Amino acid sequence: MAEHTVKAFTEELDALTQEVARMGGLAEAAVNDSLTAVARRDTTLAQSVIERDQKIDVAQRDIERRAIKLFALRQPFATDLRVVLTGWRIASELERVGDLAKNIAKRALILNQAEPITLTRSVERMGKLAAAHLNQVLDAYANRDVQAAIAVWHQDDNIDAHYNSLFRELVTYMIEDPRTISSCAHLLFIAKNIERIGDHGTNIAEYIHFLVTGEEIDTQRPRADNEPGIS
Amino acid sequence: MDFAGVERATGAVGMAAPTVSADAGSILGAPIKVSARDVNVFYGDKQALFDVSIDIPDRAVTAFIGPSGCGKTTFLRCINRMNDTIEGARVKGSVQIEGKNAYASDVDPVVLRSRVGMVFQKPNPFPKSIYDNVAYGPRIHGIARGKAAMDEIVEKSLRRAGLWDEVKDRLGSPGVGLSGGQQQRLVIARTVAVNPDVILMDEPCSALDPIATAKIEELIDELRANYCIIIVTHSMAQAARVSQKTAFFHLGKLVETGPTEEIFTNPRDSRTQDYITGRFG
Repeated sequence: MAEHTVKAFTEELDALTQEVARMGGLAEAAVNDSLTAVARRDTTLAQSVIERDQKIDVAQRDIERRAIKLFALRQPFATDLRVVLTGWRIASELERVGDLAKNIAKRALILNQAEPITLTRSVERMGKLAAAHLNQVLDAYANRDVQAAIAVWHQDDNIDAHYNSLFRELVTYMIEDPRTISSCAHLLFIAKNIERIGDHGTNIAEYIHFLVTGEEIDTQRPRADNEPGIS
Repeated sequence: MDFAGVERATGAVGMAAPTVSADAGSILGAPIKVSARDVNVFYGDKQALFDVSIDIPDRAVTAFIGPSGCGKTTFLRCINRMNDTIEGARVKGSVQIEGKNAYASDVDPVVLRSRVGMVFQKPNPFPKSIYDNVAYGPRIHGIARGKAAMDEIVEKSLRRAGLWDEVKDRLGSPGVGLSGGQQQRLVIARTVAVNPDVILMDEPCSALDPIATAKIEELIDELRANYCIIIVTHSMAQAARVSQKTAFFHLGKLVETGPTEEIFTNPRDSRTQDYITGRFG
C-alpha cells in the first residue's frame, strides 16, 4: 500500500504493528516456557515466566497509549482504522494469554513440590497444540495472511476436544487415587488455561480477518465439545 | 412535483422514485430524491465530468468528497443548473428531481433554484436587514400573504436555522453585521424560507471556526429530517460526521458511493481507500 502523504502517520502505524508483534513474541515465549516448566519440573523457569509477565503488561499499556494517540491525533479511517483497532484488541488478548501463562507457571511451582504424575504428558501435548496455534496466528498477523488466520480459527476444535478428553482422564485418575487430587486439580486448571489460550488465539484470528477484509468471519465456529459445563 | 408551484409537496405526493438504483449505496427505506444518469459536463473543450450516475436519498445527508478538481462541485452545480451561468459550460445526461428532468425545456432555472437551494463556502448575506434577508425569497416568489404570514415564515426559518434566539431582538440590523457562523446560518434560514426540496451545500464550514462548524453540523443533522441535503466537503471527518451516504469523485468520475459508515471503514475501491486515508500522491 502507498505511503501516507504525512509520513509520520505511516511510521506510527508501523510502530504500533511492530509493538503488537513484539508483544506476541513475549506472550508466546511465556506460554512455551510455562509449559516446559510443568513438563520438566523446572522451578527457575516457572519463576522467570512469573516475573516476565510484567513486561507483557507494560507492552499492552504502550500499545493502548499509541492507539489512543493515533485516534486522537490522526483520526484513522478505513484500513488505518482497522490497523489501530485490531492492534488494540490483539494486545488485550495477548495480555490475557500472558496472565494465563503466568498462572500455569504458578501451578508448576506447586506441582514441582509434589509427586510426578503421568498425566502431565497429556497436558504437555495439549499445550504444544495451543502453543503452535498461537505461533501460527501471530505469523498470520505479521503477514496479514487471512487464509492462515482462517486455518487457525478452524483448528481450535482440536484443542477443545483435547481438553474434554483430558478432563475425563483427570477425573478418572482422581477417583482411582485420591492422593493425586491436589495435583490433578492443578493440572485440570492448567488444561483449562491452555484451552483459554487457544480461545484467545481464535479471537486473534477473527481480528486478523477483520483487519484484512474489513468484515467479520461470518460463520459460527463449529464446536467439538458438546458437553455443557466443561469448556 | 411541479417547478412552477411554490407549495412544497408533503408526504409521498408526486414522488416518482426510480425503482432501479444506479449505485450500491442506497439508504435503506429512503425514497430517491435526486437521480442523475450519465451526466457529462464540458467547460469548452475540456471535459470535467464523465458519465456520473447516482441516486440521492430524500431526508438524508449525502456527502461528495474528493480532491480539488475532481468534479464534485461541478456535479453539485448540475443539480440546480448553476452551470448554466458559466459561459462555455455544457451539461449532457439527465438529472431528475422527484422524477422530473431538471434540464427539460419547460423548466425555469430560476424556479428550479428556489426548489434546490444552495449554501456557499463563504456566507453571502444580502446587504439588507436580517429580516429582509430571510423574507427576500418568500417575497419574490409570492409565498407569504401579508405581514403576519411573512413574520411567521421569518421566525420559523430562523428557528430552523438555529439562529432565532440570537437575533430575535435585532431583526432590523444588517445581516452582514453578524459573525461568520451566524451569517452562514442566516443564509441557511434564507434557503429554507422558500421551502426547497433539496439543499446543496458547497463547503459550508470551510470559512468557520470549530464551534460555528459544530453548530452548522448540528443544524444539518436537524434539517435532514425534512430535506434532501447534499454537501461538498474537503473535511473527511466532517463527511463522516454529518452524512449517511458518501460519494467519492476522482478525476471527473464518480469512483464509489455507499453508506458513509462503509466508505469510512471498508471502502471497496483502492482510490477511495488512498484518498480517505491520506495516501494520495
